[in-house]
Amino acid sequence: MDNQEATSYLTQFVGKTLRIYSTDGRIFVGQMKCTDRDRNVILALTHEYRHPSEAAIKKAIQESGNPATQVPLTSRYVGLVVVPGQYITRIEYEEGQFNRDGVVP
Amino acid sequence: MHVLRHDGQGLDEAKLVEDTSRLADPTKRYSSNKIESDVVCKFPNGDGNDQPKSAVPCQLPLRAVPKPTINRDVKAWDITEKFTQASLALNTGQLVKDEYFTLFESIGALEIMDPKMDSGFLQPGETLEDDYDALKPLLPEEVIGIMDQLLCYEMAWHQGYPLSQTLFTSVYIDKLLWPDPRSLEEAQFYRGDVKLATEAMHDILRAYCLAIIKCCDFVITKITSRDYFEEEDFCTHTYNRQLLTQVPLDFILHELELAMKFIETDQTSPISAELKYALLARLEFRRALLIALFPDYSASFLDKYWPPVSDTLPRIEATHKFGRPVPGSFSTKLQRRLASTVPPRPVVELEFKDAFEKLVQLCVDCEEAVRYTYLEPSPQEYQSFIWAFASRKPQPLAYARSYLSNFIFSSNNEVFEHLLREDLRSLVFPEDQVLDPVNWTIESPRNPMMPKDKRLQMASLIDEFTNRAIQNYHELWTALCQNRCRMRRMLCHSMLAFDQLQSDAGVLDDDLHALSSDIQQYPLITWVYHHKLRQIEWVVQLGFEQEIYLPDELPSMYYWLSKIAETRKRLLMTLLEFFERRQSKMEKGKKAEIEKAERVKEGKGYIESLLAEASGTKELAEALSSFYTHLAYLKLLPTPPRPFSNPSLRYELRMKPFLTLTPSEVFPFAELTAQLHPYGPYDNPNPKPNLSRILSDSVIWQYMDHAVKSAKEDFAKLKKLGAKAARAEGVKGSWEKGVQGCLLSCVAAGVAIATVKEICKGLGKEGVGGVEGMKKRLRVEIVEAGGDRVGKRYHEWWVVPKVVKL
Repeated sequence: MDNQEATSYLTQFVGKTLRIYSTDGRIFVGQMKCTDRDRNVILALTHEYRHPSEAAIKKAIQESGNPATQVPLTSRYVGLVVVPGQYITRIEYEEGQFNRDGVVP
Repeated sequence: MHVLRHDGQGLDEAKLVEDTSRLADPTKRYSSNKIESDVVCKFPNGDGNDQPKSAVPCQLPLRAVPKPTINRDVKAWDITEKFTQASLALNTGQLVKDEYFTLFESIGALEIMDPKMDSGFLQPGETLEDDYDALKPLLPEEVIGIMDQLLCYEMAWHQGYPLSQTLFTSVYIDKLLWPDPRSLEEAQFYRGDVKLATEAMHDILRAYCLAIIKCCDFVITKITSRDYFEEEDFCTHTYNRQLLTQVPLDFILHELELAMKFIETDQTSPISAELKYALLARLEFRRALLIALFPDYSASFLDKYWPPVSDTLPRIEATHKFGRPVPGSFSTKLQRRLASTVPPRPVVELEFKDAFEKLVQLCVDCEEAVRYTYLEPSPQEYQSFIWAFASRKPQPLAYARSYLSNFIFSSNNEVFEHLLREDLRSLVFPEDQVLDPVNWTIESPRNPMMPKDKRLQMASLIDEFTNRAIQNYHELWTALCQNRCRMRRMLCHSMLAFDQLQSDAGVLDDDLHALSSDIQQYPLITWVYHHKLRQIEWVVQLGFEQEIYLPDELPSMYYWLSKIAETRKRLLMTLLEFFERRQSKMEKGKKAEIEKAERVKEGKGYIESLLAEASGTKELAEALSSFYTHLAYLKLLPTPPRPFSNPSLRYELRMKPFLTLTPSEVFPFAELTAQLHPYGPYDNPNPKPNLSRILSDSVIWQYMDHAVKSAKEDFAKLKKLGAKAARAEGVKGSWEKGVQGCLLSCVAAGVAIATVKEICKGLGKEGVGGVEGMKKRLRVEIVEAGGDRVGKRYHEWWVVPKVVKL
């Protein structure tokens, strides 16, 4: 991929919602504002999602009596964040609900 | 499958499907040659015997088409690989960014996985949230323990720490406030249905917590309604939690009363009488405090608000020992749930003893602030009160200061205009026709060609001045209501505003002189100038109080103070003359005039009081300046090494706030140097006449003695004139203490001078070791200021050195 191609590929995600998975298992969902060569990504209006702790899962199973019970991800608003590239394990583009905004993933 | 999709150009759909099914099944492939040849002819380069399966992929450009994962209408595409490749293709330093996203903004981004920034970063084994069960049954002792701990945190907050590190670390408070309750009923330690009924102890704790939250709400309302400095005075941040703002006071009071009633009438539970007493005391205290903090106070019952709060305090202190702390019910982890971007910070621990002390102080200060409303309505009385309040030790808390400011500034502008006119009257217009209320009742003539009545013209001139000056006057008062350090900084600004006002007042003065000859010369300028000079003095004096000047700067700063005080003294002397002239003139007049003369005489007392103060300040500052200069020659004044600055630049820096004043008050550096170095440089004094001989001569010390003596006389006169003349009748006690402090400073200065003089007598004699040997015989201690506590100085404004013979 040459520079021009890369730039235009990345530019299309600016302002779009990305989900970034970090090495410690959290997911950050926010609007991409900026990225660079090191794959550092700045997200705005970000929410942090985290897998429920084991204790919480056990408790939910115990309470519902159903071992396949659903435990929601816990979420928290964190605002403007920068996720350093080295901690990123996965990036997902979240398509808008009504259109794809012309993005080629 | 996706391979085919790309090369599908020449093939129709049906064939494709068939093709793939055949490819997948080798038996089928070899059974029909016709179809096989079909495939081969499609790819002419291929050998007919080759397996098409391997031929196809190597011929086609490969591209993985990502598939979205679909979850409830939201499609997400994994772009990890491509994104990574693309970013690697970027140049170093190249950014792909939103064109409106600035570097400045990016600095505000929190770095994920950085333990100092990322509030969600967990140490190994750490859990994100606390699992304390708020519905766990509580013992009455535990409830008392929690209540007292909450009180500690509340007072820590009052001292300026944020809620996140204090009250918001309580699980109970968190449960009440989050999720945001829509009604008071919803503010419980649980949300939604609860299967078991809550316990009585929980209800009691809940009432107490609700009241605390409401108290915080009232405190924030009050503080934000006045001038304050966020994070300097107080933290009003609530991290997006609503502190029951919408809930009326009565509802909370009702909750408290229900809880109290329950304790009083309860017969069934085995709570001991002393625990009941302790719980009741705390609830009653909350109730009284809540009422006292209520922003919509009733002016006629102002003195009835704080005493009930103070009354409950001894009971709380006495029963504190019954409490049993529940440390688990407080957790820093709750901070993660707040709308805050910083990682949890440690809880601010304030001992109960200290917190209680602060609480007592808060009550006492607020009770004192109420006295403002009962003062004699004169601007000087008010200002004396404000000064006394601001000088209280320890410094009143932000709430208490806002509480006082609220009384001062709640009135409308007209009241301030009135105060300003009163201020003019007492300084430059004693029983003067210029301020005769009649002037404001005269109508302007219908015919604009007719000359206006002189009195009307005077009234409009004064109105013009008031309009111009009111803003500055208001700011001066605002400055006096700030915390001590901020007060000094704001006075620097106010002083410059008065400087500007002074140049504007000249025109109006000329007009006034054209209307009347029987007035003080340049009355408005004089008034402004006096205020300005006083503010300069305050700025310098507060500098001494706040230990802004190093010991070796004291000679120059005291010299500067003495010069300003001298200017003010001269100004006041002309005013005094004017008052005397007016008094004697009126005494000769008719009966009504003689009555007026009495009032002028009374007003003269104020001028005399100001004069005595200015004169005392001048003399003592002069004495100290000279004394410190001589101590510098004796090498007894500690001087830090300053490799990167020179005296003239330092002087310029100190004088910076005053440099633009007109008329220029600051004198050139050369003049100051000459004044403060009468025998040449401190390190290398002139050889002739010999320094030892000069210092051993008692004449130079007599000069200082004399200045101290005059200062003492002036302050004694000030004391004799009394608080009434100084217009500080409302704060007589602290005023007298202040004057007494000045007097004692004079005495201490006299003693210090005498001690050094005594030792210096021997200078020049053999075996003494000359000036250099003085260090072995004397030690000079610069007495430090007390800061927030009562200090060692007799008066915070007078740095009198302590001289110790060795």
